[in-house]
This record gives sequence, structure tokens and C-alpha cells, in this order.
Amino acid sequence: MVVLFAALLNPSTGGDNILSLLLSLVWFAFLMIFFLYPSFGQRMQLSYMLRDLERKLNKLKIIKDEINQITVETIKRVGKPEKDPAPDINRLSEFFIIQPESMDPYGLVYKLEHILETGESVYEQEVAKLAPHATEHQVKSLTNLVEVLRGINTIYRVVRHYYLLGKKTANIYMVLQIQMVLPQIIEIAESYRQAAVAFSKGQPIGDGVGPLVAAKLVNGMEKERYEIAKDTVVQEIELENRKVYVVRAIGPGGTVGRPGEGVKQLVEKLPENPKLIITIDAALKLEGEETGKIAEGVGVAIGGPGVDKYKIEELAKSRGIPLYAFVIFQSITEAITPMRESIAKAADQVLEKVKQLILEKVKSGESVVVAGIGNTIGVGLG
Amino acid sequence: MSEPSIMMGGRSRERTPEPLTFLKCLSCGVENSRPFKENDYVLKIVEDEKCPKCGGTRSKIVNIYVPEKKESK
Ligand SMILES: [Zn+2]
Repeated sequence: MVVLFAALLNPSTGGDNILSLLLSLVWFAFLMIFFLYPSFGQRMQLSYMLRDLERKLNKLKIIKDEINQITVETIKRVGKPEKDPAPDINRLSEFFIIQPESMDPYGLVYKLEHILETGESVYEQEVAKLAPHATEHQVKSLTNLVEVLRGINTIYRVVRHYYLLGKKTANIYMVLQIQMVLPQIIEIAESYRQAAVAFSKGQPIGDGVGPLVAAKLVNGMEKERYEIAKDTVVQEIELENRKVYVVRAIGPGGTVGRPGEGVKQLVEKLPENPKLIITIDAALKLEGEETGKIAEGVGVAIGGPGVDKYKIEELAKSRGIPLYAFVIFQSITEAITPMRESIAKAADQVLEKVKQLILEKVKSGESVVVAGIGNTIGVGLG
Repeated sequence: MSEPSIMMGGRSRERTPEPLTFLKCLSCGVENSRPFKENDYVLKIVEDEKCPKCGGTRSKIVNIYVPEKKESK
């Protein structure tokens, strides 16, 4: 057999002719395929892309399962439920919120607020039911954890949808679209995984830099404290004879509170308008920018669906209160994963800047509102 | 063209960052750090950990963060 094969391949024994004939046949076949079936190249590319997509989808599934496991274990450990929480967690991970209809935009902000608040409290109640032994703060952090699970679940389902649709329709453009954004999606999924770990242990995250500045501002100087809106507190301090009202969400459980409603309620209750409203929040940096960079400006620095931002803007406009803002730049990953050193260091710098601004713009005897915006997980009230 | 599969699979999973807790002793003011433990939070008063310098038991958590890689290695 080997001898025969060698003979065929050896040009001196006439194998040359057979080999070249075979090769020509192969080439001819290829030529015919491309001639009769012009999209053959695209087909091949599509199957490559689908395989790539399948691998990444699998990776997403692994991350999703891991987050699911962290959630179930944490709820079991912290909440000590009597029955297995897994089916209920699964149900909560499919929970949805329907955006209000915007065809008639009148009153849209309040509709959105109502829906979001309902969703939030339903979610919190459900988690509290699953974890009967958890404290109030722990329930909030567990709610965050289940929300992370819901997030990754949605990402996974959307990617799978495009993968299956692309496969079914053999539509390369459909696959191309999801393939283009998939590296970023994988990166976000990876940060969700780290976020789940942070929420399960109660570690402060990058987004918590706003409340961190507020906590450092108050640190030991608190004169009075009261809840002004759901999960939102005011801490009164005095800074060189200036009254400072610090608004932030209740810590150390994971919650963002209702800073918009909080500031509104507070200012409406005050005997006279504060001189300034200062908001401090984390902001998304551009790629290549330094993490922990501080920028200052005017306006309301609050991310999210816009309800809180709207309320403070409305209030400030009607009462003519100037709005100042400080933001601390970080990536989306850094915002939801345990706080980096550069962000924590930036908090100290922002604190100094806020104090300086207050001393500069607010006269002795006047008052100012400082709102630390963000998730308070791991940041106590002092 | 689609990338060859060998180049895609190799990247290992990122490690979960481990934060440190920074405690400030309430008697002598010295700051110490240790790995984060559950139930730690910023501004918490810790009563059951001895200060390595003066032996005081009351300290306050002043920071919790993940140190930058350059400094930890
Ligand atoms: Zn000491």
C-alpha cells in the first residue's frame, strides 16, 4: 500500500500524471462550486462566525450559572430560608418592568417613577420573603444581587436570541451585528460576575463613591439624622458656621435610595432656600481616561432613569438655586465591582473640593445641600 | 474574516478583586489594613480587634478598597 502510494507520488514512475489529474479535478470541483454557488464563501464565513458565537454564548452561560449559584448560596447562607429558594430566584430573574408609554409625554416622569418604585418594592418584598432571617440592610444587598442575576439573564437571552435567529435564517448580517458587540458584552458579563461577588459579601463598589464622599463629610460631625424619603436620609452637620444638609441613601445595605425625592422634600421643608445644591456621583469615563479623575461642573449629576435628576432640576429652577456637580470617572466595570484604590483616593480629593466650594460660595449662617449619589453598599452612616 | 479559534479560547478568566479594610485606631490614630471580612463597612466601629501599636480595641473603618496592583506586588 505504502509502496503504491509512493509510486503514485513519484514523478519518475508516472505518478505525476495521476497526481496532477487529481489536483485538476479538485480545482475544477472548487471552481464549479464557486461558479454555481456564489455565496459559498459567505456560507463558510457564517459557519465560522456561528461557531465563534456559540463558544461565547457558552461562556456567557457559564457566567450566568455562576452568578445564579452565588445568589442561591448567599440567600441560603444569609436568609436561612426553610425551603429551597432556587425556583423563586429563577422566577425573579425573569421579572420585568414595562416602560410607560411615551406617545403622550405629559407626566411621563411621574409615571416612570411610579412603575419603577412599584417594581423596586415588589422586588424587595419578594427577596425579603425568600430570606426571612436577613436584616433590613442585608435584604437590600440581596435584592441588588438578584438584580445582577436578572441583568445577566437578560444579556444571555438576548445574545442567544440573535445566535439562534442567525443560525435559523443563515443571515450573516444578523450574526455580524451581535458578533461585533459581543466582546463588550462579554466584558460586561464578566463585571457582573465580580459585582455578584461584591454584593454577596457587602463590599463597597465604585458607584458608591458619591455616598463615600458624603460619609467622609459627615464622619463624626453629625448633629441630626432623619429619613426624608424611602431609603434616603438627611444628616445635618455644621461646617465653619454653615449648615450642611447631607442627603444620601441608607447604608451599609445596597441601595441608591431616592435622592431626587429626598432633596425635594428637604428643600421644601427648609425655612429658606439653600445657597447651593451640590451633587456628587460616579460618571462613565471614556476609554483611555484615568480612573478616579475628578471633574466639576454645573447641573445635576445623577445617572439612572432620570426621575431623580428631573426632580432636582425642577426644584432648583423654580427656586433659583444654583446646581453644582462633581463627578468621579470610572469604567462601567469599575462602577459595579469592588472599589479601586484610585476611586477611594478620589473621594478624599472631592471631599476637600466640596468643602472648599462650600466655604467659597456659602456665607456664614447660610445653608447648603450636598447629595452623595450612588449605591451605598458597604458605606455606613457613621 | 472570522478569527481562528485558537486565538479566541485562550484568555483565562479574570480574578475576583480582593479589597482591603483600613482600620483607624480610635486611641492612637494609627491606620492598619487587613483583608476585607463580611459585615465590614465604611464608618463601622470595630470593637473586637486589637490595634497592633497601642493595643486599643476600638477602631473605625475608614476605607475599603482594592489596592492597585503595582503597590501590592
Ligand atoms: Zn492604637
